[in-house]
Amino acid sequence: MTTADVARSTIVMFVVLAVQNTLLDGVRVAGAHPDAMLLLPMAAGYVSGPDRGAGFGFAAGLLADLFLPTTFGLSALVGCLVGYGTGLATRGLVRSSWWLPLIAAAGATAVGLSMYAILGAVLGEPGVLRTDLVPALVVATPAAVVLATPVVRMVAWAMPPVASGRGANVGAGSR
Amino acid sequence: MARTRRARRPRLTIGLLVLASITIITLDYRGDAHGAIASLKDSASDAFSPVQHGVDDVTRPIGGFIAGAFNGGELEQENEKLRNEIGRLQRQTLSEQASQNALKALDALNHLTWTPGIPTVAAQVIDLNPSNFAATVELDVGTANGVAPGMPVVGGAGLVGHVSSASSSTCDVLLITDAGPDSPVGVRFGPGSTDVALTQGEGIGKPLTVTDIPPGTSLHKGEILTTSGLQDAAYPALIPVAEITGFSSTPSATEESVTAVPLADLSQLEYVDVLQWPVS
Repeated sequence: MTTADVARSTIVMFVVLAVQNTLLDGVRVAGAHPDAMLLLPMAAGYVSGPDRGAGFGFAAGLLADLFLPTTFGLSALVGCLVGYGTGLATRGLVRSSWWLPLIAAAGATAVGLSMYAILGAVLGEPGVLRTDLVPALVVATPAAVVLATPVVRMVAWAMPPVASGRGANVGAGSR
Repeated sequence: MARTRRARRPRLTIGLLVLASITIITLDYRGDAHGAIASLKDSASDAFSPVQHGVDDVTRPIGGFIAGAFNGGELEQENEKLRNEIGRLQRQTLSEQASQNALKALDALNHLTWTPGIPTVAAQVIDLNPSNFAATVELDVGTANGVAPGMPVVGGAGLVGHVSSASSSTCDVLLITDAGPDSPVGVRFGPGSTDVALTQGEGIGKPLTVTDIPPGTSLHKGEILTTSGLQDAAYPALIPVAEITGFSSTPSATEESVTAVPLADLSQLEYVDVLQWPVS
């Protein structure tokens, strides 16, 4: 990653964080809201592959953790796993399909939220699995489909796909 | 050979990142780095606060407009303040009713503290439920305004929760509906009752369950639960908490199964009061 990539990535993370904390947190259905910060690692994995997706997801997760009341580091762990997983799952797929990032966003959000809830339960908050997970999945997964395109485009601007033959996801349909 | 090294690199990266995450989680969970992490969170919260206030000022009137209200933003804000005032009066009335009942049993209750007279800090809710996995709200007041972790927060007609963390300009409030282990509230029920029970949150927007009520206890729908105020309790006595909406019991049950709805409308919080109650 070049310095310019890091600078652009930082800008994108802060923009999405601001949108999340000021607008999306207020969009509540059954107590749950969309989670755009979870889309960042998905988009990074989709655009740039598992390696960079994991790094981007870790950084975005740590940033999100600064503003969450839950255990510090949880979002970073979920973020790096989601970025890595999305990169692996979508590697080698044809990127011309407009719906591919939408499917990836829905899948990554569902998996990410479930991991978050399971880890929360392991850390002594079983209520997270019992009461919070289902509303979060019902609200955040469809919302992820709506938010996927702009988030993937922003991340593709921040982290241009690396050249072919270097393990990259060239020609991300988002660009 | 070079190809193998490239293939291994993502695994090495993810391995290191997972290890780093688990280390951070462990440090926070065990409390080893809690001070450093808390001050980092507080600094981030303070730095982000102006952005949040700015965007909030812009989006609040838009949100009101979208909601179908043709009133201006100021009128909407005025309504919210008046709603909060009505809630404060309702709370006062309920608290006074409860205190009259409690006076009858005061001789027997050595630990009872008195709610009225506790200084308050008025606050505005600037963020509702930042996480899908914790029932919290963020307020626009912090340690600079005299707010400290542990202080009770009231709004509308009843108890909202308690301050879980505070930076200099903002604070987080853990709501009584949170399903975690830190949200239960010790309550009394019934006129002049000495029976004590515990409320347990069931998640955002869901009613509370009330535990530790022995079978056969006389209960009524609409009965108001108030904070117990027992020694070392997290809340002072006689703050209205919730209204009983249902109860049932089976012959073999060891306790009544009771549900209650918080008196404060936790989904519509706009203005609240932080009680500057001594925190033990």
